[in-house]
Amino acid sequence: MQTEALLRSPDIVVEPTLTVERLKAYYTTKAFGIDRDIRAVDDISLTVAKGEVYGVAGESSSGKTSLIKTIVGAIRPPLHVVGGTVRFNFGGQTYDIYDLKPDELQAIRWRHLSYIMQGSMNVLNPVRRIKHSFYDFAFPHMGLGRATFWDRVRDHLRKLDLDPGVLDSYPHQLSGGMRQRTTIALATVCTPEFIVADEPTTALDVIVQRDVLTMLRDIQRDLGSSFLFVTHDMSVHATVSDRVGIVYAGRLVEEADTPTLFRSARHPYTQHLVASLPKIGDTTRRASLSGRPPSLADPPPGCRFHPRCPLAMDVCSKEVPPLVSIAPRHRVACFAVTGAPS
Amino acid sequence: MAAYMIFVARRFAQLLLVVFLGISATFFITHMTPVDPVTESVTAITNFGKSDPEAIELMRKTLTELYGLEGNLFEQYVTFWSRLVRGDFGPSLSAFPTPVSQIIFRALPWTVGLMISATLISFTIGNTLGALAGYYRKSRILKIISLGLIGLQPIPYYVLAFILLILFGFVWPVLPITGGYEMNADLNLSFALVLDIIRHSILPAMALVLVGAGSWLTGMRALTSNIVTEDYVTFAELGGVGSTRILRSYVVRNAMVPQLTGLAMSLGAIFNGTVITEIVFGYPGIGTLLINAVHAGDYSLVLGLASLSIIGVAIAVFLIDILSPLLDPRIKAE
Repeated sequence: MQTEALLRSPDIVVEPTLTVERLKAYYTTKAFGIDRDIRAVDDISLTVAKGEVYGVAGESSSGKTSLIKTIVGAIRPPLHVVGGTVRFNFGGQTYDIYDLKPDELQAIRWRHLSYIMQGSMNVLNPVRRIKHSFYDFAFPHMGLGRATFWDRVRDHLRKLDLDPGVLDSYPHQLSGGMRQRTTIALATVCTPEFIVADEPTTALDVIVQRDVLTMLRDIQRDLGSSFLFVTHDMSVHATVSDRVGIVYAGRLVEEADTPTLFRSARHPYTQHLVASLPKIGDTTRRASLSGRPPSLADPPPGCRFHPRCPLAMDVCSKEVPPLVSIAPRHRVACFAVTGAPS
Repeated sequence: MAAYMIFVARRFAQLLLVVFLGISATFFITHMTPVDPVTESVTAITNFGKSDPEAIELMRKTLTELYGLEGNLFEQYVTFWSRLVRGDFGPSLSAFPTPVSQIIFRALPWTVGLMISATLISFTIGNTLGALAGYYRKSRILKIISLGLIGLQPIPYYVLAFILLILFGFVWPVLPITGGYEMNADLNLSFALVLDIIRHSILPAMALVLVGAGSWLTGMRALTSNIVTEDYVTFAELGGVGSTRILRSYVVRNAMVPQLTGLAMSLGAIFNGTVITEIVFGYPGIGTLLINAVHAGDYSLVLGLASLSIIGVAIAVFLIDILSPLLDPRIKAE
């Protein structure tokens, strides 16, 4: 029913590049013979269309990083997939991430799907020159001769306003911003159809942040790639994302086009999140939401937000609100908005 | 490059200083012994009867000069250095009048040959297995091998050596149990001699490798399992870089910086000899020599061996210092 609503909206391409269905991924830890599940990704469904920038927002430890790690197949024990599917669609071909053999997965990485990790300060091999990283990551996927390959890399760097001289540097010789931009250049040199970026601007000061965001935006326009963009910084979403999904305690609670989300968010948590943003000229004190995010090891029953929710009703502590379309491209999981089940 | 040359020159000056201080300390420590080697030698000779006081006095004078013991301690110290720079440690006191340097250089090739091969073999085996065990943590075979090698570690070395002797010398007598070569062997260089020397070195080398490989393995496995969680390794995995390439260029390449430092240190320590190995296997190296020198109170030989070991370690440290900026670009040549 939700998919139908999505299909009916005019600006969505019929076949999304990424389809996540009912994805569940838990951290399972065993201590003294007792299994404990940390439900970091709990029943999340979303789609990202071709050429779309999908933003994922949420506070720390809400499961943002676990979600995208699961989406790109970068999970390591104790994190493991409990249920659901992740399907990519590259050039009409469907790839189910958890159905591929390791070498098939390796073949689509970087060529079609690249990932800019959180903490990009340390993602480049510290003891080798940067050109070796470009060679290792990109050369096997591009099928070019050596000379053509290096020409392409240099062109790509120049297009991104980076001096091709960075290729001969070691990572520690570059500043944080340079390193981040080099990493982004490395992630985009194969012109992948899908790029996942986890907090790519978080450790940078605002000037460098702007450079990096402009760069990402330009690359996205140039390549027409889809982006899955994760950050806790709502103002970054406002400038970069076409559509934003709000994650709270491992669940998607609201999803809408960026303007809709900032103007008429419906979920009480999203409303608080948007209201907390400073606005020029507005001098009222920003209210902080009382309480703290729930432990994912022992989340509250029903809606996970209900202990902190000003609109909480009886049903909220008993049943999990489903994510329901309330308008085209706007989904909310809240009984106060969609009405309690009879 | 110029900066690097200045760095090398400075480190070399440090090397000379360390060697000078180390050898000086050894000199003063050995010369503080209450035993007078001249009296010892004269007594040893006159014990056999003839004791013309004039001849004894002459002998005493000659020996004092030969041993470099003329004048006060400072004058002796100067004489010692003026001889040392020409590679002369004076005559051995226990094998008089053979020069110390000649005795040492006769024993040195045995120790160096055995130790270099044993160290390199255990370094290679230990690090290869350690890297594999740290990277492929689920492999059952690697777990068993690691457990075996680590399990050998707490066994005292001499016990292990004797077990090997019993196994390969008596239970299954395939290898010679003592010496560096067959007695009465023709010592002219020939294929048969090389083969004989290798056969004799297998047991001592095996004992050294079995013990050494375990400690390299433990270190390398710990390093590797740390490095595989580094962001740059995860990133390379997600970048579709092949696992062989990741293991070699990302994991091992980063682990090699500390491991090669360790290797240089153990190569430098070769000149300390391996007293226990050489005694247990009757190997004619400098370890055996050192024990004999200590028993005989031959302090010019002890001094010679100590100086050699000081120079060996100092050169190893020097090499690590000048090579590490080349291995890890983050280490600055300063």
